[in-house]
Amino acid sequence: MTHLELTHIHKSFGASVAVEDFNLTVKQGEFVSFLGPSGCGKTTTLRMVAGFELPTSGNVTLNGKDLTYVPPNKRNVGMVFQSYALFPNMTVAQNVGYGLKIAGKSKNEIEERVREMLSLIQMDKFYSRYPYQLSGGQQQRVALARALAIQPELLLLDEPLSALDAKIRFELRQEIRRIQQKLGITTIYVTHDQEEALSLSDRIVVMSQGKIEQVGNPFEIYNFPQTRFVAKFVGSLNTVTATVVDPAKGIASFDGINLEIAQGLNGKNKGEEVTIAIRPERFNFLAEQRKENVFDCTIENITFLGSVVRVQMKIGNSIFNMDTFNRPSLKLPNIGGKEQVTCSNKAVLVLAG
Amino acid sequence: MDEIMSRKRTSFFTIFWGILALLYFFLPIYGTLDFSLRMERGILGFKAYKIIFADPRFWEGFRYSVTMAVITIIVSAAIFVPTIYWMYLKVPQARPIMEIITILPFVIPGIILVFGLIRTFSRPPLQLTTSTFKTDILMIAGYVIISMPYMFRAVDVGMRSIDVRTLTEAAQSLGSNWFHVLADVIIPNLRLAILGGSLICFATVMGELILADFLVRPALGPYMVRLGLTKAYEPAALAIISYSLTWFSLGLLQFFSSRSERQKQQVITT
Amino acid sequence: MSQMFATRQRKLWREYPLWNWVGLFPFFIFIVFFLVFPSLRLFTGAFTNQEGGLTLDNLKVFENPNVLKAYIMSLQVSAITAFVGGFFGFLVAYSITQGGAPRWMRNVISTFSGLAANFGGVPLAFSFIATIGQTGIITAMLKKACFNLENYGALAQFLASGGVNVSDITNVCPLNPYTYGFSLYSLSGLVLAYTYFQFPLMILTITPALEGLKKEWYEASTNLGATPAKYWRDVALPVLMPSILGASLLLFGNAFGAYATARALTGGSIPLVSIYIGQQIRGDVLGNPNEGYALAFGMVAIMTLTIVAYSLLQRRATRWMKS
Repeated sequence: MTHLELTHIHKSFGASVAVEDFNLTVKQGEFVSFLGPSGCGKTTTLRMVAGFELPTSGNVTLNGKDLTYVPPNKRNVGMVFQSYALFPNMTVAQNVGYGLKIAGKSKNEIEERVREMLSLIQMDKFYSRYPYQLSGGQQQRVALARALAIQPELLLLDEPLSALDAKIRFELRQEIRRIQQKLGITTIYVTHDQEEALSLSDRIVVMSQGKIEQVGNPFEIYNFPQTRFVAKFVGSLNTVTATVVDPAKGIASFDGINLEIAQGLNGKNKGEEVTIAIRPERFNFLAEQRKENVFDCTIENITFLGSVVRVQMKIGNSIFNMDTFNRPSLKLPNIGGKEQVTCSNKAVLVLAG
Repeated sequence: MDEIMSRKRTSFFTIFWGILALLYFFLPIYGTLDFSLRMERGILGFKAYKIIFADPRFWEGFRYSVTMAVITIIVSAAIFVPTIYWMYLKVPQARPIMEIITILPFVIPGIILVFGLIRTFSRPPLQLTTSTFKTDILMIAGYVIISMPYMFRAVDVGMRSIDVRTLTEAAQSLGSNWFHVLADVIIPNLRLAILGGSLICFATVMGELILADFLVRPALGPYMVRLGLTKAYEPAALAIISYSLTWFSLGLLQFFSSRSERQKQQVITT
Repeated sequence: MSQMFATRQRKLWREYPLWNWVGLFPFFIFIVFFLVFPSLRLFTGAFTNQEGGLTLDNLKVFENPNVLKAYIMSLQVSAITAFVGGFFGFLVAYSITQGGAPRWMRNVISTFSGLAANFGGVPLAFSFIATIGQTGIITAMLKKACFNLENYGALAQFLASGGVNVSDITNVCPLNPYTYGFSLYSLSGLVLAYTYFQFPLMILTITPALEGLKKEWYEASTNLGATPAKYWRDVALPVLMPSILGASLLLFGNAFGAYATARALTGGSIPLVSIYIGQQIRGDVLGNPNEGYALAFGMVAIMTLTIVAYSLLQRRATRWMKS
């Protein structure tokens, strides 16, 4: 049940290419995030869906209708902006009701719908307040209600939480997910915050320099990054360049230390260089006898990060981070001390590019 | 947001009003310049300028106005820099009242202010019109009042851009007394702001008419009006001279502020 | 011992917070002498008679037809130039902020606005005389664009058939403004000259408001289905309205208090309040100095109203812009 379809979208501003060959299908009711650093083309893509930018080539289709050249005020797509963009001359109620007023709805109908929306975002009491009387988080809730009041076929959110404090950001994040699931509205969410994307989305589109790096659900994106960029951008990661020793058995080496790789090194040749990645939380201090992937290391530094303790260590000549849960029973090594650490051969990722 | 380039198309509407504004700005100046050069029939020449520069009354007016402007700037700076400094340091709550007072010369038209000044100071107990020297004191006071909004704002903005309180505390912790804090730390950091206020002050005094006219002092303003009543080409030349003076002072300000801006940039980049 | 003394001194300091104000006294004294006393003089003068008794009789000056004429003229000039300058200035400011004018044009116009808004005065009057006065350069140019009806037989015939006495029109100069009753030395000329400093003032005051119009407001309204016209009606104009009104008031006050330009341009032939007060200072044309004060007081009252209304509107505008 394809709802939104973007096919071969290409966008350039003069000589610079903003978006390159973007293809994506979104199902009805799906929550999709565009994740990437600023300048990666995620906002431009969103604005092409909203109609504020015209693609240089390619098509936007919604519910089987070609929207590519439909002006933005005829699309019936709701949008929430990073800067809230509430109309300062209108009350909360007038803001939320504006789209309905434009659509020529009756006074009673508008009134009823506005009340319904305000109770959805739990802001009934703010009916006749002005935007300048609201906090940032409240303004953004109103902006969400305003976008939803017109019963759009699609909801677009352009970094809606970036301008807010950490605490409000967390609350509103859950609010957005709750409302989205309650209404079952297809949603595209643009963000540069991996935590937001991972916690909210059904699927994530990771973008870099105008191109899609990987599309997948949060689990896939985090655990099986396909490219070096995705691995680096989502979560933290140790990477090292290794040389293939035995492609059939999946063994590579760095600094003269052998690594076993469960996924294997099929298609690689002996002596070829590959990029290897290991998540910090996949390392453990050696507890029982093991043969594979046991490394001698020197402890360089230890940092408390609250629930997690990050240990910086040197294996061979390369620096790695290891994250372990912070338990009272945890025995920390001395800085400068020698230890043995291990990781499962399933934890070793081979990155493309 | 930074990934969106703004590419606004320039419309006919924009160009039309823009050009009209430019015409409105420059046509009268061009007209004045052209007119001032046409004193001699059929040729372009500087005769009108020569006549003005040969007129002792012009030089008298010029000297007088420049002297008045310089004194006004000194008095004005001497009043406003310590006052505003004190305000920042001790009584920040005085700001609203200071702002209202200093905006008053915009509310009270010049002609009214002069009316009041003359009627107040032309009879005892506060008579100041008995000698030219005393009248000049009145003139200076009037000029300081008239240029007050500019001077206050310039110094105020300057003080805001440097952290007066911290600078003062730093200097005091190093053993400076009040006078040295002001002279060694605050004023050097305010040079540009004071210069800005001074140049606007200068331009204001040089072009001022009402005070000098009604107090019958030989400033440039009344000279211009008198010349305008009897002559045709010389006033145009005089207007050009007056514009040049204004632009020169404002150009100077532009030069100094852009230079200091550049210096700041260099500090950041190196 | 010295420690005790220091704490004692600090206590005293805190006991008299007014002490903090001492540093402002020189400034206040200056203001009292040269701003408060003169204003009080006018104020008390306006409400006392020549013997010093309180009276409202001086307000009768506003029944004097000459005074009334001057006030009406001043209000007229101020309103017209505020409207013309405001309208023109707004369109120019819109063009350079939202309309995507080329960068050089934007720079020249905004720099020059700062200059021209403070232009005023005698030189400006001279410039307009030299440019569009009877013998001005532009007038001369416009006068040259003439044609002789004798050379346009068909047109002459057409006009003659319409009952026009063709022999009177040998030389027609359709561009010469003086043929249409324009005179630089009249109200129309005054409006033309005042506009020179009025519209730049409008550009200066309205530009921040126009720059405060967020692009997202336009996009949000479009996203909700509004056309550009509806965006202007429902969002942009209401948001700008306090700023536009406020700026217009500022322009109004600016023209109302102006003296030098009018004096140098018309030599006092147009009866403005400011000119009238000038005459009163010089020679007591009213024959009663206290009525002169009342005249001045009326002017200050109008200016005060204008500025107070301006600042109220300004406050509302900034409050909206904050969010």
